[in-house]
Amino acid sequence: MARVATVLLFVACLCGCSNEARYVGPTMPQTPPAGDGDPRIASYQSNLYQVSQGGRYFAWYGCSGCHADDVAGVRNLPDSLWRHGGGFAQVYGSIADRHGALSFGKRIPVEQLWQLTAYVRDLPHHTPEKRRRLEVDQKAEAVGPAWTGPQ
Amino acid sequence: MNSRSMALLGMVLLAGCSGVQSPLVPSGDQAGALHNLFWLMVVVCGGIYLLVIAGLAWGLMRVRRQSATTSDHTASDKRLDKGVWVAAAVIVAGLTVLIVGSFLADRALFATRGQSAMMVRVTGYQWWWRIEYRDPAGNRWIETANELHLPAGRTTRVQLGSADVIHSFWVPNVAGKLDLIPGRRNQLDLTPRREGWFRGQCAEFCGTQHAHMAFDVKVESPATFDAWLAGQGRNATTPAASERGQGVFAQNCAACHGIRGTLAYGRAGPDLTHIASRRSIAAGTLPMSRGGLQGWIAQPQALKPGTAMPTIPLSAADANAVAQYLAGLK
Repeated sequence: MARVATVLLFVACLCGCSNEARYVGPTMPQTPPAGDGDPRIASYQSNLYQVSQGGRYFAWYGCSGCHADDVAGVRNLPDSLWRHGGGFAQVYGSIADRHGALSFGKRIPVEQLWQLTAYVRDLPHHTPEKRRRLEVDQKAEAVGPAWTGPQ
Repeated sequence: MNSRSMALLGMVLLAGCSGVQSPLVPSGDQAGALHNLFWLMVVVCGGIYLLVIAGLAWGLMRVRRQSATTSDHTASDKRLDKGVWVAAAVIVAGLTVLIVGSFLADRALFATRGQSAMMVRVTGYQWWWRIEYRDPAGNRWIETANELHLPAGRTTRVQLGSADVIHSFWVPNVAGKLDLIPGRRNQLDLTPRREGWFRGQCAEFCGTQHAHMAFDVKVESPATFDAWLAGQGRNATTPAASERGQGVFAQNCAACHGIRGTLAYGRAGPDLTHIASRRSIAAGTLPMSRGGLQGWIAQPQALKPGTAMPTIPLSAADANAVAQYLAGLK
């Protein structure tokens, strides 16, 4: 019985092995996705590490300033309503080329755009509470002028 | 083991003697108290160890001698009964010495708590340190990263926080370690006495690059320290020759890195206002140099795999301009 339980536990652990796999080095994409059938999409959209990196850059690059959770209209990302289409390549294009003077396509490297796209497309799959928790995690502790510890 | 490998082992052991990161070379009041406690424990525990070994040897020899003369081992032994009581008394005395020593060391660590002290906030990130000094003149905070300067002979109160996971602040030459815990603010008083460069290190495993989460500590005379802090408080000045680098930086780096006096306000990564005045790059990963800066900009993931700094594809000319710009930020 104990042996069966050990084997089952081991197998259960193995199930989580690949969903956070990450690569370091020259495997990163150098080009935008070539349509929604691009074979590279799966390794970003279904990889928790890549999605969470996207969430990180979402906060760092100031995206959350305009795309807050409670904002109405086209800036609301989790509502699953995409003005320019919800496919991977379409969302990628919206981030890179449809932000006017912010021109993220020129300022953000290609791999980060892939990760941001995966994160943005992942948002509708979560409840508002989960998204709020994710945001709190990304924000981390208040530092600098916003410090809340002892003075 | 041949003589060559002995020599090699000796050299490796001696490498620990440089003293920039060693609790055995105390350079401050708090480290001194812990150092005294360490030697007290070595002496007391070493003495107890020797007594136990001596008692064991004595018992073995005694049995051997008795076996030669008599075959009766069950009779009660007055001397042995007395010996048990003596041993118990020695154990209680040794523990009492250790408890008193530990109590006194604790008191020494907290002796400065009631006094006013210079405030420094240290926030741990995977894998670097944000360091903020309270400006003695105004009410603002002067920000730097990965390098802590301390005035000798004065007490500095370090407030420790974390932005992600648990880290631990440890400068063994100056004080004991204290954890940086998300959601908590720990305080550690440092009163360094000896001037010089020391090394601090994260002492709580915090992820893949835990080993590359170090910082340099400089203990200097109060006058030198005040001058350094005033310099850190000034805005960055951009030489005319670095305008291209500043432009590329504003376009590609400013979302995450701040440089006071420019339009770079990012706070996700370390403040770079006076980066060239620091001793190392990326929390002790590389020594500070023009080449080190450029290498770090070109391939951060190769030098420190897993670091939050992404590889930003810049043209060679742009990377060169940014490195030149940063190398000028003294």
